[in-house]
Amino acid sequence: MTSSNPNVQLQPNKAIEISSLNKWYGDHHVLRDVTLDIYEGEIMVICGPSGSGKSTLIRSLNHLEEYQDGHVAIFGQPLARDRRSDRLIHNTMGMVFQSFNLFPHLTVLQNCTLGLTWLKKMPDQAAEKFALTLLDRVGIAHLASRYPGQISGGQQQRVAISRSLAMEPKIMLFDEPTSALDPEMVKEVLDVMMDLSKTGMTMVCVTHEMQFARQVADRVVFMADGEIVEVGPPEQVLVNPEWDRTKDFLQHVL
Amino acid sequence: MEKIHSDTERDDYKPLKKFVASPARPPKRETHGVIGTIRKRFFNSIGNSLLTCIALAVLFYLGKWIVNWAVIDAVFVADTRRQCFDTSPDGACWAGVISWFNGLIYGRFPVQEQWRVNLGVVIGIVWLLPLLSKRIPLRGAILLSWVALFPFVGAYLFLGGRFGQELGLFHGIMTCAAFGYLLLIYLNLIKALIGSKTIAVAGLHLLFVPFLEKRLSRRVVAISSMLVWGGLSAIAALFLSSFDLPLVPIERWGGLFLTFIIAGFSITMAIPVGVILALGRRSKLRVIHWLSLGVIEIVRSVPLITVLFMAVTLLPIFMPSDVEFNKLSQVLVAVCIFAGAYMAENIRGGLQAIPKGQFEAATTLGFGYWQTMFLIVLPQALRMMIPNIMTSFISLLKDTTLVSIIGLFDIMLMARNIANDKDWVGMHTEPLVLIAILFFVLCFSMSQYSLNLEKRIKVDR
Repeated sequence: MTSSNPNVQLQPNKAIEISSLNKWYGDHHVLRDVTLDIYEGEIMVICGPSGSGKSTLIRSLNHLEEYQDGHVAIFGQPLARDRRSDRLIHNTMGMVFQSFNLFPHLTVLQNCTLGLTWLKKMPDQAAEKFALTLLDRVGIAHLASRYPGQISGGQQQRVAISRSLAMEPKIMLFDEPTSALDPEMVKEVLDVMMDLSKTGMTMVCVTHEMQFARQVADRVVFMADGEIVEVGPPEQVLVNPEWDRTKDFLQHVL
Repeated sequence: MEKIHSDTERDDYKPLKKFVASPARPPKRETHGVIGTIRKRFFNSIGNSLLTCIALAVLFYLGKWIVNWAVIDAVFVADTRRQCFDTSPDGACWAGVISWFNGLIYGRFPVQEQWRVNLGVVIGIVWLLPLLSKRIPLRGAILLSWVALFPFVGAYLFLGGRFGQELGLFHGIMTCAAFGYLLLIYLNLIKALIGSKTIAVAGLHLLFVPFLEKRLSRRVVAISSMLVWGGLSAIAALFLSSFDLPLVPIERWGGLFLTFIIAGFSITMAIPVGVILALGRRSKLRVIHWLSLGVIEIVRSVPLITVLFMAVTLLPIFMPSDVEFNKLSQVLVAVCIFAGAYMAENIRGGLQAIPKGQFEAATTLGFGYWQTMFLIVLPQALRMMIPNIMTSFISLLKDTTLVSIIGLFDIMLMARNIANDKDWVGMHTEPLVLIAILFFVLCFSMSQYSLNLEKRIKVDR
């Protein structure tokens, strides 16, 4: 069993600070005073029953969702609804989606180079070379000239991860990256995420893979009904939970 | 064997039987092959056999009548319609169509200047030829240059006049730029065919880029290719200004040539106008949204003929009196807006079919609105909508014949004019049959091309 990452104690720089975040869909209160600090290099796994607001929380961090109350800060810089904040978000955070969201009209390689050539203004050859090293790292460089429709779900999700990594983010957000996959493909994606966790990347993962959480996570957050029920090292939250709600959930998942 | 036995830890282990598929048999003869299919489809009951025979008889007599009228009894050489009747009263009089053929194609364009029309068409096709090869990069740039620059070449060749005088200085400069760009494309292609293994660059890139690319930044490459483009344009300017083409006023344009100009212009402009209107309609900015919505709904609710009449009669009233419009440019503007409004709804349909996740993925990567639209969303939406877009193009091509009503001498009006010729008085059928065949060939090949395009894109996926 891994204990919480010793790096966290040595460099307690906050990558993300969430303070009393509130969000409503109409009258429905989906996030209720969520307060959480995520440190640099930390692997944070968010779990909880469906409808507990975990996806909404992670999507609020990069402004895919609006929130009505509360604050988010990235590397100490508070976020607002302006261009500066958007640029900060795009420069520091990458995201991997449940449904991959690859661009189906572009090849695997072009999916990865599009941002490099248009946003980072990299020359074509350099962009292709960089994208190929990333694809090689996730084990699918040989599929570079295929279209997303021609490869399996697990391979698509690995492409999506390298597409995000190509923009060189400091924080990676994973929104249920394995939920849309056939069971035999879950492992190949989790392996890639495990490799990534060893590089010191800050990772926030919404996932139902408890095995992954136990092996990789520095801390686990359990959410229910839009609230954080408990936060702590995996052996604490997943093995000896304090609250009955957590225990109830774990009995259903494990 | 022993090991397997111990691994399974079962006493009743038996080796697996080997599965061999039974041999394939040919199908029953009655249901297969040419004869089988005919029997199954057309003669599977007494009633059906009877229907088949009746249909064959009808087809035979109809076919015989058509062949008799159009070929066997037809007259191909005659000076007047009377001569046709004297030779063969029941056949088609193709002689009239043949003697008017030039008029049907070029309208009243002076015969000695018709080479300019042919040259314009050839240049237009040659410009687009590189699009056929998948190995040529930046084909989008070539297509874009055609859309943006070819109209200037066309106007220069078709209208003529002293260079830079009748059409103005700006037009002259753009014509030179167009010829310069065409030269640039082909010099690039030739260089690539001779020099390197793959065709390296076309479009805005430079002749000598591949040698220097590693050491030069993109900006230098862009600036130097601009310089070469400018140089080639200057050469074109020197050449073009050394002679004058006689002026052919727009009133003399006509026939299939004019039909092609109107259809080609509206087809190429329909997409950009449609994209702008479709994006406008989806815009969150209220003013733009309502403006686009208004244009789309009003134009779609009004018949094309009304739009054409309004363009010819109303547009000059709203314009300052010193701005003079010719009928053709009014018609072109009207048809463009009309086609654009219909195209906008096609494109909007495609845009709505793009999943929200595509926008989210683009946003999280850092793409802004326009980049997301042009790099990610529109390419997918347009591909998805190819069948609908092609249908619009085909109906647009057919709709252009309506301009004959407001007095433009397109192929339809020229055909009707034949009946007014004193030598061919009352000859209506033959020219209309010819036009029907012509439009069928054009529209059918367009629809075949669209099917081909769909197939090619499916292979891509």
